Amino acid sequence: MTDQKLIELVTQAVLAQLAGQPPAAPAQQPSAEETEPLADITDKAHKMAINIEHPVNRDALEQMKTKTPARIGVGKAGPRLKTATMLTLRADHAIARDAVFRDVDEQVLSDLNLFSVQTLCTERNEHLTRPDLGRQFSPETINQLKSKCESAPTVQIYVCDGLSSQAVDANARDVLPALMDGLKGYGIQTGTPFFVKFGRVPAMDVISEALGAQVTCVLIGERPGLATADSMSAYIAYKAAVGMPEARRTVVSNIHKGGIPAVEAGAHIATVIKTMLERKASGVDLQM
Amino acid sequence: MNGVSILSVGIDIGTSTTSMVLSRIQMRNTASGFSVPQVCIVGSEIIYKSEIYTTPLVDGILIDTEKIRAILEKEYDKAGITPSMIQTGAVIITGESARKQNASLVTQTLSSFAGDFVVATAGPDLESVIAAKGAGAQQYSKEHSCVVANLDIGGGTTNIAVFHCGELCAKGCWDIGGRLVQVDRQKKVTYLSPRLPAIMKAAGVSLELGRTADWQELDRLCRVMAQVLEDTLKFTASKLCEEMRTAGSSRLTLSRPVEYITFSGGVADCVYSPQEDWFRFGDIGPILAHSIRESSLMRDYQVIPPKETIRATVVGAGSYTTSVSGSTITYTDESVFPVKNLPAFLLGRETEHQCLTGNDRNLREETEWFLEQNDCDNLLFCIQDIDSLSYRQLNLLADALCHTADSALGKEQTVMVLCRGDFAKALGQAMQRRLLDRKLVCIDSISVQFGDYIDIGRPLMNGMAVPVVVKTLLYG
Repeated sequence: MTDQKLIELVTQAVLAQLAGQPPAAPAQQPSAEETEPLADITDKAHKMAINIEHPVNRDALEQMKTKTPARIGVGKAGPRLKTATMLTLRADHAIARDAVFRDVDEQVLSDLNLFSVQTLCTERNEHLTRPDLGRQFSPETINQLKSKCESAPTVQIYVCDGLSSQAVDANARDVLPALMDGLKGYGIQTGTPFFVKFGRVPAMDVISEALGAQVTCVLIGERPGLATADSMSAYIAYKAAVGMPEARRTVVSNIHKGGIPAVEAGAHIATVIKTMLERKASGVDLQM
Repeated sequence: MNGVSILSVGIDIGTSTTSMVLSRIQMRNTASGFSVPQVCIVGSEIIYKSEIYTTPLVDGILIDTEKIRAILEKEYDKAGITPSMIQTGAVIITGESARKQNASLVTQTLSSFAGDFVVATAGPDLESVIAAKGAGAQQYSKEHSCVVANLDIGGGTTNIAVFHCGELCAKGCWDIGGRLVQVDRQKKVTYLSPRLPAIMKAAGVSLELGRTADWQELDRLCRVMAQVLEDTLKFTASKLCEEMRTAGSSRLTLSRPVEYITFSGGVADCVYSPQEDWFRFGDIGPILAHSIRESSLMRDYQVIPPKETIRATVVGAGSYTTSVSGSTITYTDESVFPVKNLPAFLLGRETEHQCLTGNDRNLREETEWFLEQNDCDNLLFCIQDIDSLSYRQLNLLADALCHTADSALGKEQTVMVLCRGDFAKALGQAMQRRLLDRKLVCIDSISVQFGDYIDIGRPLMNGMAVPVVVKTLLYG
């Protein structure tokens, strides 16, 4: 057999296999790709699949996989990940990158009636490379905040893109009203909410000082990992001030579908803020 | 504020024996400081085990309430506790159904000193689950990711529960036990269970009260009983298996084969360590244990030692009946707790989703119907299908529940809601805004089924969570 012929045979066999057909059978039926939509390799069902060929205890592996989003039980090809695992990993990474580089959906902001302000960062790359600018505002922006917002509110809440615009898109519509209504139910007054673009957490200290809020709460997109890009955090501080220790911030993290559900998070944060006002403390000073 | 422990009592009044245990159930907030609190039961420790008493009976059938009370008084004294110290637990009356005729009276009498939040519980299926948990079958199946069946063989019944990786997958109860026949030292028959004739027929044996039984007869009888258990576990349910199934028990249906077996109950002690004195207990327990040792149960499965044998049920009742709600919940008034014997009203998938669209007609009609059917003043709205919802849907659900509560429940009744999904705090807050001054309890992360009753204890750990007991049956 010549090399040329061998290559031809191998190519045929590989192509046939890729199309989901046994190598020998001629392709008469339409392939799976033509009849069914492509599977989403980042969805939960796909990730739950066990790719180890002969697990000693499949039940145990399945149990373990329900406990963690980490890529366990994926098998290997020699010293490397299998192709399917590698592709899922890259797809997850792509989702994370998109979440960082995208802007928040304007529709979400208008649904929530939020006006927008921007930190000293002028564009996305600057936001990512200059954290110092992401916690400052121009004097004009500060004036704009002062003129548009109620001054000296008991609680000032705002939304911020942080490192995941997608987290804002996914959760803000449920967290913010649940939180505002929750506080209203407790008889706690809230200021005018708004949206900050290109913001970092400590921007809340500047906002707290500018508006004279007792408690400031920012709902901000968390840096996405490879498990989810939808996760939002609430950073909350009593009388936040520029230069205060980080330990004075209380955080409620992991607000997303697989973590704490958005509406429940809103209700929980309302209780946290209520306690904060009662005890006049936040962060490590506030033992819940 | 990291952990608390609550004192739990378990009282088991069985066909042949009665016992009590006290345990400390430890709860801790297992969430990190950065996330929402999550109170979990992290362990339980048995701190006192009573002696094992022969269940006192009146006329050989009914439970002697007064004597039970005297036993418990004595044991509480020995343990150095008073009823007011007990925070949770369960009284369970197991075994032959005839003995349960005065069960409700027994639990009423005991309630005064079993503590504030001790539940009376019954039902053959639940007994099976409680015994298996006490025997450690659930834990073993979870830790070893395998299928474990526990056979709790007592005086009147054998309770079977099967767990796969810690999850209950089958349960049931059969009228097979060591005291279906009782004999004296001279092998004269002193008691024959009304459930025995079917077994005698299958074994080709006929025993009579007052007549002396020979060993071979009793052995044949016990072999048939062991056969029923073998067939049941192999799901080749014979006619006799079906006939001997306890009234009100489930059939054992298994989706995967049993790998390991634990035995518990009084007869288990004789299975693990054989008795040579056949008539030591005045019954056929040791002979039944012998038949089980000879049966294929010992060959076809890997038999492992249980954590408890004769005390499995009482330990299960004391340590494994209490669960804990989610840790973001709503209640308006601590004085409404403990809540006892609240019937679970399952809205059902269709009605739940109707509520999310703002349509509450079905909910109102079904609520009124449920109250009427159960002849009760209040109920627990159970939302079991909705996993997660948007804030808009949450408000519509709150509207539906509040309208229904206003129209169907008396003004003085506390509005009680339980959801499986984690949204009770948000739903509770939304309902509170609508109900204003009315009392409200809204808890989550608990699964219930049709026909369940629920008890809710006093809030724990700064009010973060409440202990919950889900039971399947009430007496009377």
